[in-house]
Amino acid sequence: MIGWYEANLVLIEATFLNFLLALSIQVPLRLGVFSFAGVGSYGLGAYTAAILTLRYDVPAFVAIGAAVLLAAVVGYLFSLLVARLNGLYLAMATIAFVLIIAVLATNGGELTGGANGLYGALSDLTTGGVVAVCVVVAVLLALTERGPLRRRIEAVREDPELSLSMGIGVVPMRQMAFAVSGALGACAGAMNALLRTTVSPEEINFHLIVLALTMVIIGGSRSWIGAFIGSVIFTWLPSVLASAGRWQDVVYGVIIILAAIFMPTGLLGLVQTLYQKLRGRRSAAVTAEAPADDTAEERALLQALGGESRGGVQ
Amino acid sequence: MTTTETAPPVLEAEDVAVHYGGIKAVDGFGLRLPAGRIYGILGPNGSGKSTFLAAVTRLVPLTRGRLLIDGEEYHTAPPTKLARRGLARTFQTVRLLPELTVLQNVQLGADLHAPGGRLRSWLGRDRPSEAVEEAIERTGLGDVRDAWPTELSYGMARRVEIARALASRPRLLLLDEPTAGMNHSERQEVSELMRKLRDEGLAQLIVEHDVQMMVDTCDHLVAMNSGTLVAEGSPQEVVSHPAVQEAYLGKRWRSHA
Amino acid sequence: MLEILINAVTLGSLYLLFALGMSVAWGTIGILNFAHGSTFMFSAMVAYFVVQTVALPMWAMVLLGAAVGTVLSVLTQALVFNLILRRNPDLLKAEMQIVVGGIGTASVLLAIAQHYTKSVPFGFSASTFKVATYQLGPVHISNVQLVILVAALGLAGLAAWWLKSARAGLALRAIGVNPEVASLMGVDRSRMALGTMAAAGALAGIAGVLLTYYLGSIAAETGDSFLISAFAAIILGGIGSVAGVVTGSMILALAETLVVTQLSGTWASAVAFGLIFVVLLFLPRGIFGRKEVRRT
Repeated sequence: MIGWYEANLVLIEATFLNFLLALSIQVPLRLGVFSFAGVGSYGLGAYTAAILTLRYDVPAFVAIGAAVLLAAVVGYLFSLLVARLNGLYLAMATIAFVLIIAVLATNGGELTGGANGLYGALSDLTTGGVVAVCVVVAVLLALTERGPLRRRIEAVREDPELSLSMGIGVVPMRQMAFAVSGALGACAGAMNALLRTTVSPEEINFHLIVLALTMVIIGGSRSWIGAFIGSVIFTWLPSVLASAGRWQDVVYGVIIILAAIFMPTGLLGLVQTLYQKLRGRRSAAVTAEAPADDTAEERALLQALGGESRGGVQ
Repeated sequence: MTTTETAPPVLEAEDVAVHYGGIKAVDGFGLRLPAGRIYGILGPNGSGKSTFLAAVTRLVPLTRGRLLIDGEEYHTAPPTKLARRGLARTFQTVRLLPELTVLQNVQLGADLHAPGGRLRSWLGRDRPSEAVEEAIERTGLGDVRDAWPTELSYGMARRVEIARALASRPRLLLLDEPTAGMNHSERQEVSELMRKLRDEGLAQLIVEHDVQMMVDTCDHLVAMNSGTLVAEGSPQEVVSHPAVQEAYLGKRWRSHA
Repeated sequence: MLEILINAVTLGSLYLLFALGMSVAWGTIGILNFAHGSTFMFSAMVAYFVVQTVALPMWAMVLLGAAVGTVLSVLTQALVFNLILRRNPDLLKAEMQIVVGGIGTASVLLAIAQHYTKSVPFGFSASTFKVATYQLGPVHISNVQLVILVAALGLAGLAAWWLKSARAGLALRAIGVNPEVASLMGVDRSRMALGTMAAAGALAGIAGVLLTYYLGSIAAETGDSFLISAFAAIILGGIGSVAGVVTGSMILALAETLVVTQLSGTWASAVAFGLIFVVLLFLPRGIFGRKEVRRT
């Protein structure tokens, strides 16, 4: 057991860091915000922690805390910037944000170490510390998955207009999601930089975005448990697939495709549905035909013409 | 019912206009709705009824006009402030949250008034409040309170919408086609509930296609066409008004009569 | 100076060929295909393996690339996107599933290509086509550049004409504006979608082969980097508009060329991302974009 633990320490740590990274995508998704900005915050956090450790030799919790705080503020400011965007447009803008951070890191001169990145950021961060942070984060997120807060989150994601008429401020909720996403991403990045003692611009790339998204989608996008399942799968899958030899990347891609088609709610959703079926909860749905929407034209008009003002949900 | 038309109205809309580019969806429409009354808006498709409701709930901006609740202007307030002022609404299409049970959907309506501080309401125990239980009871949803929205019939789902609105204990209730898709007895029940709520002092504004239901339920009808007022008065007066028959009711009402 | 301009316009034409199909598919049937870059690269790779055994002329290579691109794109649509949409008919809710499905498809194609090419760049030196350079007044221009310019502008013109006049174009635009109305009009959505994706795939295949001729060689990973540039070009010009893609591709290519020659290579990649960002913020519908009518 101890032998296994030591042999796989890197993967075990990576599982927890990937968990935080996945959460940085999942939190906005739960509010209907398609943002990858958390991956940019990962880079921001990694550099902030590495620079603080290298230059000022601060303890790990200070370096991580500063990184988290900075990224939360940047995330909030970023949300103000992209307030008018939605859906895929927002996704594109956030991808651009991530890649711009990488370009800035490459061109940051002495501060960021240029294309080579930074080395030797030795700190007192331990695996236990990483796990403790993850547990705290999981507990806090679990609290958002029950009771009134869960209802608010569901409402904001599924029906912003309804939320407004229920007195729920959609815009502040979404801004909060950006800040939390930034904090989570930065936490993952900072801890990764300190554990590995290095950071380089190559780490912040399109593939990191893809990894974060697939972990959430395949694990489950509604709960922290889904993010955890996803991070376990995608951290360990490559070593499991090594037995598939040369075709492991193909198998990896096929798994992603199959999940996209057959598990729209992720593995967690699949398990939940099965469980409910076993308990016989979801009996035959008796949804009656909705009557013809007799002011469809008016609604279409509203959408067509009011779309712009509703787009950002003031 | 002691309320008179001269009492201060719960909802007042004055000369409301909503224009989109060159299209005048609503153009100079208004009404005064006192407490404990049910008003209905009649009008053909595209007459501006739904746009007017959207304007009253601040989901679309006004081009012109004033809106007041209890004599206080609110047409520049954000839509999120209206629920706290006692305004609740249902929508034309069923808009329940699919991943919440019936009970949780109704609870959403009452969350606004959760006791204690924000933190306590988020972290504390999540018992349905009295208002929630009452709303479920009154709309006859007791048997399906733990069902998922997809398991409900259309008429049932509409009742959940009404229950959600009632759970916020509103002073003013806007109902956008509350009985669409319901069978006869369900319509009767909803109509009865609305009249009961009226007698308790709730002001209600309905947009509905079922003219018979409107005549049976409403105290006062307002007819709308092309975004403007066509006729106003008691249900009988309005449905027999020649302009209304011309514009909207046509043969449909005469065959009912 | 003029030569720099010609190189920029060539690059812009390649972006255009690549982004055109993606933009039309996104703007009409609402599908943003993340596997477009891999389709582009894979078509060139298949053409490379064929030309290793049979020395083909350029036109045959282009046709071959178009055919492979069509097949790949149709397969992606039929086996991935269509299955996702069938299980989740609301396009907006399926959006993320489609993105993930596209990413999965892209990684499958990339992995296969990396396996067969051993991640070594490949080129068409075995083709019968030989690069020649002409002196046109003060400028040098190669025959590859001429082919690319003509192909890009010709195909963009064709796409614009098709979208504007043909019945199919009308139906497609109806889907883009309002899917519900379109289905009421009797537009067969899944057939239109398949046709659009076939055309988009053909364009990707053509772009892949021509890029390989132009650069001499490409690698399995080339597709991915084109994807981001194409996003920038599409968003810059406005989604679904042919004039928009043309303008967007050219502006992007000029800006990138300018940065590379005036500033430094490491900032070049920031141009595309920066443009995406700036355009989304200040011109969210792009230069030629129509009003967004889809629900939020």
